Amino acid sequence: MDGFTERDLHGGAETRGSVPPGTDLIEWYYERGFTDGLPVVPPTPEKVAACITALGGDAQFEECRVAPRWGVLTREVLAINMVLAGCRPEYAPVVRAAMLAITDRAFNLNGVQATTHVASPLIIVNGPLAAEIGMNGGCNAFGSGNRANATIGRAVRLIMLNVGGGWPAELDKSTLGHPGKYSYCVTENEAQSPFAPYHVEKGYAATDSTVFAIAAEAPHSVTDHQCNDPEGILDTMCSAMSTIGSNNAVLGGHCVVVLGLEHANTIAQHGWTRSDIRNYLWMHSGNAFRLISRDHRYGKVYNRNLPKWVKRDPDSRIPIVPSADNIHLFVMGGEAGRFSVFIPGWGHMNTPVLRSIGPVEAKPGGPVCIDGTCAL
Amino acid sequence: MLTTIDTLTVYDPRGALRQSVTPTAPRITALAGLRLGVLDNSKWNANKLLRGSLASLKAQHEFAAVNYYVKHSFSKDAAPELIQQIAAECDIVLTAIGDCGSCCSCCVRDGIALEQLGVPSAVIITTEFLRETKLTRAAIGMPGLQPVVIDHPISSITDAEMQARMAQVVAQAQQVWLGAA
Repeated sequence: MDGFTERDLHGGAETRGSVPPGTDLIEWYYERGFTDGLPVVPPTPEKVAACITALGGDAQFEECRVAPRWGVLTREVLAINMVLAGCRPEYAPVVRAAMLAITDRAFNLNGVQATTHVASPLIIVNGPLAAEIGMNGGCNAFGSGNRANATIGRAVRLIMLNVGGGWPAELDKSTLGHPGKYSYCVTENEAQSPFAPYHVEKGYAATDSTVFAIAAEAPHSVTDHQCNDPEGILDTMCSAMSTIGSNNAVLGGHCVVVLGLEHANTIAQHGWTRSDIRNYLWMHSGNAFRLISRDHRYGKVYNRNLPKWVKRDPDSRIPIVPSADNIHLFVMGGEAGRFSVFIPGWGHMNTPVLRSIGPVEAKPGGPVCIDGTCAL
Repeated sequence: MLTTIDTLTVYDPRGALRQSVTPTAPRITALAGLRLGVLDNSKWNANKLLRGSLASLKAQHEFAAVNYYVKHSFSKDAAPELIQQIAAECDIVLTAIGDCGSCCSCCVRDGIALEQLGVPSAVIITTEFLRETKLTRAAIGMPGLQPVVIDHPISSITDAEMQARMAQVVAQAQQVWLGAA
């Protein structure tokens, strides 16, 4: 007797049950729908307790509620999902910070979970904690092979499924989804980047650790083996950014640009700063209104979500995002390869969130944040 | 010494729900003389669907007022201030369009917020999103909310198809407000 009902909206009040010895626990979790499709790590009391301790104890402390089911994420439930995902206890502060970021009101997790779009929260960790827990921002950063990247991202997704109720075809209506809906968590290659880390650009100290969260598409490769100057490399990036098929093109919002090391080093050798890069990308990407409106081929019923401040003349430039500050710039990847990636966002319906990991310290001159959260 | 393991511990990772079940607002008995609010979520063709449906409703009923509101984003809940304003200025509400995952979720959530303030609300969704609507209203705690369900899709349809959708809206919305649904 385990006392649990089949997966439904209203279960979950009792967190512990028992089954006879010899039960195949991996199959038991599959049968109840408590997985993302991959086998889970069956939690033991010892493993759950270790994660609760790493979260600061107090198992019934409520960290947040997770839309669109609005289940309560206590530390115990967070710990259970961490173990299911395969996390080590020392990942706990990152998983918690990621959950607090995506459940911040600005992030609109309710919409992100429910949307027919492909978007999934992309979590990017900055600061010394990423290296301490062994995260990978180097070779194959977005790919497989690293336990911290893989299981932190997976824990966030399992919580979105189990606590948030974002089950496909139920409260997650994504038409297609993307592979990042299993796990989508990386770190910046701060050690090898020629630029200051992302969180330092946003006002944190290099010694702070942060999570950045944005609802995002999968990475789109940007190949450029020819250009040896900032303008050439960034023009190639602008080409990738300017597709009219992304949500950014018609709904603005925010996007992520990840420069590979070779591209970043070339650009830095010419004396360009992060701000130069972001402003160049903003200034030289975008589409003519005639493309967005399809030359009024389908009548003048076009998207009313375009900014009020862009002219509706055929040749008016519609920027990909409203401002260069809405381009979030990171440096990642291995030492070899003239590749970068562009990652479109979901649109203006999602505001990315940057949040410190661990205790919040008020810093004069730092970012203007409430309760440790900076809505960007 | 050998110890016998009696049972294995298993865990439920879902977390508890806190929401209590709340009833919908009291239904109305007649439409004449009421203030009708229309909440347009700014999605493609929501405006056309709502304006056309409104014309038919106005031809059938003498409303005391018709107020048209547009919310900033179809994928976000209406701002609490807007919900308060609509509840203060209207006796019944028609809102559209829940024809995508986040649009449907937020239309249902807006409708439930208005019902909680005593305003019978006809939330228009498309057939593809009926299951999501049922789960959303259950999660938020208002299983009694009855949606207006019209054919999917709404964007990229012909004028004739749009006319048929409007007829579905007009028939069902009145049933929702009157409680006959």
